[in-house]
Parts: sequence; C-alpha cells; structure tokens
Amino acid sequence: MLPQLLASGLSVGSIYALIALAMVLIYKTSEVPNFAQGDMGMVCAFAAYAFLVTYSLPFGWALAATLGVALLLGIVFEFLFIRRAKEPTTLNLIIMTLGFQLMLFGFAGWNWGAEQRHFPFPISDTEAVAIGPVVVSELNLVTLVTALVVMGTLFAFFRFTRLGVAMKATQQNAMAARINGIRTRRILAFTFGISSAIGAVAALLVAPITTLDPTLMWDPLLKGFAAAVLGGMTSLPGAAAGGYLLGLLENLFGAYVSVEFKSVVAFTLIVVVLWFRPSGLFARHYVRKV
Amino acid sequence: MDMKRDYYEDIQFLKDHVERFWFAVMLLALAVLPHLVQNFTMYVVNFLAINVIVALGMNILVGYTGQVSLGHAGFMAIGAYGTVLLMTEGGLPFPLAILAAAFIAAGFGFMLGLPALRLEGPYLAIATLGFGLAITQVIGRWSLFGGRMGLSVPAMRLGGWTITGDKAIYYVIIAVTVLLALGARTLMKSRVGRAFQAIRDSDIAAETLGINLAYYKTLSFAVSAFYAGVAGGLIAFALGFINPDQFSFIHSVLFLAMVVVGGLGSTLGSVLGGITVAYLSLKMDVIQELPVLGAVIEAISERFLTVSGMPNAGWVFMGLVLILVVVFEPQGLYGLWLRTKKYWITWPF
Amino acid sequence: MPAAFFEAEHLTRRFGGLVAVDDVSFTVERGMTYSIIGPNGAGKTTLFNCISGIYTPTSGTIRFQGDTISGLKPHQIARRGLARTFQNLELFAHVTTMENLMLGRHLHMRTGLWRGATMLFRRSKAVQEEIAHRTRVEEIIDLLDLHAARNTPVAALPYGTQKLVELGRALAMEPTLLLLDEPSAGMNQEEQQDLVFWLQDIKAEFGVTILMIEHHMQMVMDISDRILALNFGKPITEGPPEAVARHPDVIKAYLGEEAETLLREP
Repeated sequence: MLPQLLASGLSVGSIYALIALAMVLIYKTSEVPNFAQGDMGMVCAFAAYAFLVTYSLPFGWALAATLGVALLLGIVFEFLFIRRAKEPTTLNLIIMTLGFQLMLFGFAGWNWGAEQRHFPFPISDTEAVAIGPVVVSELNLVTLVTALVVMGTLFAFFRFTRLGVAMKATQQNAMAARINGIRTRRILAFTFGISSAIGAVAALLVAPITTLDPTLMWDPLLKGFAAAVLGGMTSLPGAAAGGYLLGLLENLFGAYVSVEFKSVVAFTLIVVVLWFRPSGLFARHYVRKV
Repeated sequence: MDMKRDYYEDIQFLKDHVERFWFAVMLLALAVLPHLVQNFTMYVVNFLAINVIVALGMNILVGYTGQVSLGHAGFMAIGAYGTVLLMTEGGLPFPLAILAAAFIAAGFGFMLGLPALRLEGPYLAIATLGFGLAITQVIGRWSLFGGRMGLSVPAMRLGGWTITGDKAIYYVIIAVTVLLALGARTLMKSRVGRAFQAIRDSDIAAETLGINLAYYKTLSFAVSAFYAGVAGGLIAFALGFINPDQFSFIHSVLFLAMVVVGGLGSTLGSVLGGITVAYLSLKMDVIQELPVLGAVIEAISERFLTVSGMPNAGWVFMGLVLILVVVFEPQGLYGLWLRTKKYWITWPF
Repeated sequence: MPAAFFEAEHLTRRFGGLVAVDDVSFTVERGMTYSIIGPNGAGKTTLFNCISGIYTPTSGTIRFQGDTISGLKPHQIARRGLARTFQNLELFAHVTTMENLMLGRHLHMRTGLWRGATMLFRRSKAVQEEIAHRTRVEEIIDLLDLHAARNTPVAALPYGTQKLVELGRALAMEPTLLLLDEPSAGMNQEEQQDLVFWLQDIKAEFGVTILMIEHHMQMVMDISDRILALNFGKPITEGPPEAVARHPDVIKAYLGEEAETLLREP
C-alpha cells in the first residue's frame, strides 16, 4: 500500500512542482506571486482542446501550438499589464494578477460555455503499467516523466544557454544586468512567457484527470502556491521539492488519517513549517540592513 | 483658505459647518431610504452595507497595518455560524449572540496574527489562505454546522420586537455600519491607528519607538476579524440562511479587491470600494442589463463568443476594473475623489 | 561604586564567520557627548543595533542606568529612555511630519483601543491627550524649524528636512540617552553647522546624553567629550578628542600606513 501511495503522491506532486516552479520563476524576477498562473494554464488547456478537437491537429502539432500560445500569453501579460502598474508594490501587483485571472476565467466561460468536456489525451489514465510492486496509470507515468523533463530542460537552460544566464543575472541584480548590456525588460517578458509555458504543461497534465472546465486549475494553483512557499519562494529546486513533498504528504494523510481534511492538513503543516523557517525550507532568510 | 485654530482640527471628524451639513444630509437620506425604494433594492443595500463593514476591517489590517489576508471570509463565517448557533443552541438573544460571535472571530484573528509576527508577503498570504480554507472545510463537513446544506437562520429579535423583512433589518444593519465606520475612522486617527501605520511603514523604527509589534500586529488582526465577524452575523439575517459556499476563497479575494479598488489606508476608500466591488459581484450575472455596455456585450457574445457563457462576462469586467485601478490610480476610488476635489478647487486652471 | 550611566562590556556580535563587533567595551557618563568613529564597515552601526536591541549580542553585556538591556527587545529598551536615529533614515514615509513626531510620543500616551475608537468629542480623554501631546511636539517643531513641513507626507520632503524629522521624532520620546547614527550624512556645510548648534541646544534644553556615530571629523572634534575609534569591529583607542586624533593606529586606519609614518613625530 505504501509504495502505491508514494507513487501516486509523486505523480500529483509533479503537477504541484511544475506550478510551483512557474510561480517561483516569476517571483524571483519581479517579487510578485502570480495568481493568474492557474487560469493562464487553463486557457491554454482549452486552446489545446480547440487545436485537437476543433481543428483536428495531430497531438504533436497541437502541443507545439499550445506552448506557443502559452509563451505569447505570458509575454503579453507582462508587456501589457504588469509593466504598466503605476505603483508596483507587491500588493498592487497581486491585485493585478488576480484581475488578470478573473478576466481569463470569465473569458474561458464566455467563449467555451459552461459544459464540461473530456480532454482527449493520447495517453490513457486508466490503462495501467506495473513497475515492481507498484501499479501506476500510464498518465501518472507520463506526468512524472514530463515533470522531470521540464525540470531538466530548465536546469540546462539556466546553466548552458546565454539567455538562461542572462535571466539569472537579471534576477539577482537587475541594475547590474542592464549595465552589462542585458535587455532586462525583454528578459522580464520572456520570463513570464516561460513561466506561462510551464503552467500550460501542468494544465495539460491536469486536464485528462478531471474534466475540462474553467475551474480546472483552481485547486492545483493553490496547492502549487503552497508548495512554492513551503520550499521557499526564492529557490527553484526548493519549489520543486516543495511540490513533491506536498503531494506525498497529502496522499499519506489522505490514506492514513482522513480523506476529507487532507487539504487542510497540508496547509496546516505548511504553516507549522513556516513558523520554524519563515522563508520556506530551502531558501535563505535575508534580513534587511538598517 | 481656512486657517486651523487649534490641534483638535487635526483629528476632528467634521471640521466645519459644511461637512456637518452634508453628514446630516447623508444620515437623513439613509434614514428615509426604505420609504423610497422597493424591497429588492433594500436587499441590495443591506448586502452592500455588510460588505462595507468587511472592507473597513480589511483596510485596518491591509491598508493601515500593511499585512495581508487571503482568508477573511473565514472570519465572516465564524461570525455567521457563531451567531446562528449561539441563538439556536445557546439560547442567547440576538445582540449578545452577534457580539459573542464577533469576539470569537476576533480571537481567531488574534491567533492568525501570531504567524504574522514572523511571516511576510506571500508566506503570510499562504498562512491566511490556509486558515480560510480550513474554516470552510470544517463547516462544510461537520454536521454541527449543517454540512453542505448549511443552517437556516432564526428570526431576529431585538428588545421584544421581531425584526423581519429587508426594510426592518436594514435599520439594524445601517446603524451598525455607520457606527463601525465612525469607529474605524477615529481609531485610525488615534494613537492606535498611528502605531498601525508605523508598523506598515517601518516596523523596525516602530519598535525603537516603543511600539510592541506583537501586541499591535495581533490587535490589528483581531479588530479586523471582529469587523468581519459582525458582518457575518448580519449577513445571516439578511439572507435567511447560511452555507459554506458564501464564505469561499473567492470571497476573500473580493474583500481584498474592495480595499485596493477603494484605496488602501482610507476609511472613505473602504466604503467606496466595498460598495463598488460588492455591487459588481451582485450584478455580474446579469451584466447584459447594463445600459450601454450590456448591449455591446450581447453583441460580442453572439458574433464571437457564446451566448450561454454570457454571465461570465461579468468576471472579465471585474478583472479589468482591478487591472485598470492598478495601472491608472493605485490610490483607488479615494485617489479619484481627491483628484476630483483638487480639480474642483483649482478650476479653471 | 555607583553604576555608570551607560556601559558596554566585552560586546561581541558575530554573523556566521564574520565578527562585526569584536570585544568592544566603553563607558558613557551622564551628560556627555560621546562619539564613535571608524572607517566604513568598522561595525559602528552594528554596535548601535546591538545597543538598541535590533540584534542580540553574541556575547558581552550592555547596561543602561544600572539595568542590563542586552537581550531585551527594542520596544522594551525604548521604554527605558533610549532613542535612536538611523543611518539610512527609517521614517514613516506615508504619513506626515506631525504624525511621525507624534509617534515619538507613543510611549508617553495611553490611549488604547476603546478610547481611540470613541475619540469623537472634544472633552473626551483621548482628544485631550492628543491636544496635550501635539502641544509638546510643537516645541520640537519650533526648535528644528519644521513648520513648513508639518502636514506634508515625509516622503515628499527634501533629504535634509527628513533627517531633521527623524531627529525630532527621537527627541519627542524625551529620551535620557540619544543614539545618533551619522546625523550629518548628506548635509552640506551650512546644514552641518546648524546641526552642531542644534545638538548643543538639545543638550542644554533637554539634558540628554548623546552617543553619536560620525564621519565628519571637524564636528566630532568640536563637540565630543570622548571618542571611541573602531576598525574591523575592534576598538583601536578611546579617550578625549586630542588624544584620539593623534593616535597612530587611528591615523593608520583613516589615512594609511605611509601617512602614519610621515606624521610620526621624529
């Protein structure tokens, strides 16, 4: 039973990890938790649905198109809205992301109606594969692998590409980056774009599990945010770790104590952790100098 | 130009005859309102007033003390369920029940203030979010609270009279609202409100001036929760029934929107923001009934999008309002009010 | 032997491997003007942060008027009569000058939650208290010439005025010991001279003891009774101004080895 729980915990944790990664990516760059993350992914999932069903594109093409849409969505969000905030305090930017989220949510319902749809994923979530003592659904397996692939790509991107290094530089010291010739405003827009793409991948992995409707990503967003906070909002590996931890804890708690209250417990645990480590598990706590 | 004559004018609520006049007019208008409008409008006014109470409390915490809360709907729920249960199970009369429930909410607020001593920004946001979630889940599953079906609310009895109907309840609600608004305003002008603002602007300096951060931060949470608790108690009677769906995360988000749209750190702002956002949230379902905008939305729905999804247009509108406020007027409606006043005074330049 | 007015004993503060303050001891007598000098990074502000309670010393004791204050929280230390200003200004940016100064009166006022919320009538205790303390604060506005800035949010004030507001706020606390962290930083010649006069006025009128971090040597020499010189967190020397100015290690710290060699008396 335990290995089974661990496996499914890791699977759902993968989704939380992806969302957490997307959030931390933006938080490190602009110090704002992007509450629009979930619904940006949701809209992309709907777009994927349109590509797959309405236009009958093969899955590969649909996926590429969706990622393109996601990238564009992120860039447009930063360029049209975030950048234009008159007083970019954290609270104001949070409100802006909440506003964008409401707009996306409304748009999705407005455009696609309220009916629930089934998302045609090429990989089934009922067919199972046996790995050792554990039986995982094909979808779970794909989720796990996809998350790892995304993380690996991100890691390589930051380490080995010029753009990645430029992004890291901008995160650490925007002024110094600009002086060194890095076009920080473009980097910012691009960061939002990448983050949006990661969120879209997460949404595509959630959609086959549940039905496709506008409230698709609400719960995963909150969990992903909680996971990011747990791991530390300033640490990318921390965010991923937080995601897996949360997934495991939730599943274990759901099985051994109570299914009904497992979300509450997850949050309570996070608050307890934060009491002892106010900046999350893996991030460093910076004290302001006076 | 008016010269100040003494220090009292710095904190005085109504500074001159003009302000006193308009305030009296407003009170009069509020008093005769039920005789001028329909029952359903009365219900809307009640709803707006109750949301204003929550906005006032939120502003104390977010606008003046600089904290964040994504779980205020939880305090409202405690106020609502507390009031109802204390009346039905505890046999307490209405005034006592609502006061007790609000104090219980304040107690929870105090507890939520404790993590606030160590957490900031998104970390505090998650902690408050978790709180709100926990409350909704508990009342949704525990049979004592009626589970998913919720509870029905007994009649309001005040000093021997039974108060039923939107118009009658209105008087209770509006009286409470005005009192709490005045209380909030004077409190923020006092030593306590100053300490709150000091914590917002520089908690390190505040400490070196002798301000006990632990005391004032938890106090701010407690007062803010008290307001939400009172609002919860009142909304139980305004609606006649309560269930967990009325106190969800979305509501907490709307409360936050109220103070930002209205203008952080301004009592008048919370009133304006509360009214605006609450009204929008009510009318969202029927946005096509708006005078000009409604027709536009209907046209767009038919040509590009879906008609069945039209109620969702309201969300788009609300989101757009939030974004526009942040882009153009971060001081919110209060900022717009200030600008209008200045324009009026300095016209025609 | 009666307890010294203020003393620090073997004060040390570590941050991981960095020793910011290294075994610093000194005594300040009541009524003195005591200055702490040293190059940037010498640990002076960290020392102040330890004294005012923002940091807890890693080891050592701080005693103020007989009580041990090391380890107490800042608001408890403030209650005992210690006020401070900050090197980089920690004003309450979104409220007015008057409100900043009134926050200095916080400890002397007693209005709490209930009285504050019902502060509507001229006769109420809360209003009376407000008026009384605003009158007190007026003396400080007079002294520091802040009349024009009274109702302006301090974020909109020029830098020099902001420094004065922070000084005024500290004074409003009616402290017994006033810690000033580089009070003349960013001031031009004229403002510095004004500051010297103001500090002398303040001592005369309010009878405070001043503990000051300063870089402007002329000012330090002019008004200090005793000086402590720090470098790399360690005390170099301590004593009256003339002695400290001539001390070879002080010259070395500020001007370098060659200068020290050149200036050394044959």
